Amino acid sequence: MSVALADKSEMSGGIVMDTCIRENPSMTRPKWRKVAYGGMQPGFDDNHIDDSFLEDMVTNANVVRRDMLKVMRDTVSISQYLCIVALVVLVWTYTLGATLNENSLLLLDVSLLGLGFLVLLLTEERLSLNRLLYYFLNISFFTTGLYALSPIYQTLTRSISSDSIWAVTVSLLILHLFLHDYSGSTIRAFGDPKNPTLISCISLNASVVASVFTASRLPSRLHVFAILLFSLQVFLFAPLVTYCIKKYSFQLHLWFSFGLMAVTLALVYMLHVLLFVVLLGLLVSVNLVCPYWLIRIQEYKFEINGPWDEAKLCFDITE
Amino acid sequence: MGDQEIHRVLMVSDFFYPNFGGVENHIYYLSQCLLKLGHKVVVMTHAYGNRSGVRYMTGGLKVYYVPWRPFFLQNTLPTFYGTLSIVRTILIRERISLVHGHQAFSTLCHEALMHARTMGYKVVFTDHSLYGFADVGSIHMNKVLQFTLADVSQAICVSHTSKENTVLRSGLPPEKVFVIPNAVDTAMFKPASERLNGNEIVIVVISRLVYRKGADLLVEVIPEVCRLYPNVRFIVGGDGPKRVRLEEMREKHSLQDRVEMLGAVPHARVRSVLISGHIFLNSSLTEAFCIAILEAASCGLLTVSTRVGGVPEVLPDDMIVLAEPDPSDMVQAIRKAISILPNIDPQVMHFRVSAFP
Repeated sequence: MSVALADKSEMSGGIVMDTCIRENPSMTRPKWRKVAYGGMQPGFDDNHIDDSFLEDMVTNANVVRRDMLKVMRDTVSISQYLCIVALVVLVWTYTLGATLNENSLLLLDVSLLGLGFLVLLLTEERLSLNRLLYYFLNISFFTTGLYALSPIYQTLTRSISSDSIWAVTVSLLILHLFLHDYSGSTIRAFGDPKNPTLISCISLNASVVASVFTASRLPSRLHVFAILLFSLQVFLFAPLVTYCIKKYSFQLHLWFSFGLMAVTLALVYMLHVLLFVVLLGLLVSVNLVCPYWLIRIQEYKFEINGPWDEAKLCFDITE
Repeated sequence: MGDQEIHRVLMVSDFFYPNFGGVENHIYYLSQCLLKLGHKVVVMTHAYGNRSGVRYMTGGLKVYYVPWRPFFLQNTLPTFYGTLSIVRTILIRERISLVHGHQAFSTLCHEALMHARTMGYKVVFTDHSLYGFADVGSIHMNKVLQFTLADVSQAICVSHTSKENTVLRSGLPPEKVFVIPNAVDTAMFKPASERLNGNEIVIVVISRLVYRKGADLLVEVIPEVCRLYPNVRFIVGGDGPKRVRLEEMREKHSLQDRVEMLGAVPHARVRSVLISGHIFLNSSLTEAFCIAILEAASCGLLTVSTRVGGVPEVLPDDMIVLAEPDPSDMVQAIRKAISILPNIDPQVMHFRVSAFP
């Protein structure tokens, strides 16, 4: 028992800063300590708020301060992809309205393929003849398979009404745009270490299904093959091509995007004025309004860190 | 406490016996202490399997196992007004004067507090855990907490870090929050009567083997320590999803004779496991107030723990060695603990812990 008493007095007297009591005889109570043992600290209530309350809190430690111009430059990729999808829908509309016949469509396909390969050749330094041959082989297999399967696609939705098809196509396209991975390429390009995520796979599948639905409304097999080849080319390879352009030179990427936007807006204007207004509004809001809004609400960000956070393991858990 | 007013307290929580854990033990022991002081205590919780209805426990503790089905991690399904009738019945029938809710994660607690305040009863809330701010679950729970605690009479937190965390999450004025640490029954946790032999050092780990309690850190630390100190043995008690990883580690480094896995240890046997060791290792990644450390100190063990949450506040610096949650740092801390182990007297440590008021 005496040991306990001696220990207790030693704890309350010894560990506390002695200088406080000795130098200021007027101050009768020892300094408050942030400890949970030792019971009530003499002179302080249990709900005492010390000056050191919340002093270990760190706010906004990991927050990235964004710059308006950089954000606007980054949104150019988004509007570029929007224009590409708008162009695809344009081609679909013209084909369904019989303005574009299958021969011109086939010509469009081949020229797009050629252009794509050209861009890859020019912008990618690590391209070897072997690689090129490998891609060419894959594309030919793909095209042959598509040609063989086009009769199936032609009769796929014959029993479904057109309204349902258009509704599903539009919603799938919106889903595709919403979930698309705008930062990089869904297709693993040249040993790119970034794996495609679930979301980007879902978006790709949505676009493919939308193209199949549209293709199934066309009159002849060649039509179906041509339009499917065109749509799948764009949806599967356009991200890769634009990624290569962006990696090669940012100026080129900007010029390409602005050119594409101008061409798309002109073509949509020729189709329908209302759609032109909608597209213009969308591009303006994505490029100008949204970055401004993002920068404005940045100042309300309040990230709290402190000693209560769960510790992060610094090593990877290998199962 | 000058006034001899007898209170009739209703403790509300989803977590109570037969579930085992810190909150459950806290509610039970607190109720027993209040009963000894002459107050009346009633506990309200949800039914556990067949255990439904009214039961009486030690000391006349009346427990209402309300027949609501738990839906997620022992929580009842949150319906805003579904519990109103049963809460009102209990409050009126038992003539309750004070409602005490436990644990922010318990939906039954939030609803009961809300209904009690609506009826004008005095309400106290105790928070037992630390939560974050950034992920979806935490954001929702903090919003609920803000609503529930807007009108509470007083709040209790188990450590100063927990008080800061609760004040930030719920927007309570800090004057309303009292810091009352958890207590341990020192009569139950006594050190061994004879000292253990000195030629081998036994390190005890008792915890749920989950990610939150740092089981992955254990997997890294144990082989390293066994390599550096040939006379060190480990006793690991507890069960959980990460037990497989520990078994694998044991096989990989051939430590079957140096690492003993006990499986789940019932609460009554914890003391006997603790007194068979010299050092207690706690590797949790987040902890509002680690009662396990206090139990170990009461049994006379030197503690090595990670410096997280409220752990630095629990014991004085000479009874605990703290380390960052990093394997190399923890191995250094164990080295330091082994070096100061000869100076530790378990009986002295037990007296000091029992002298904490």
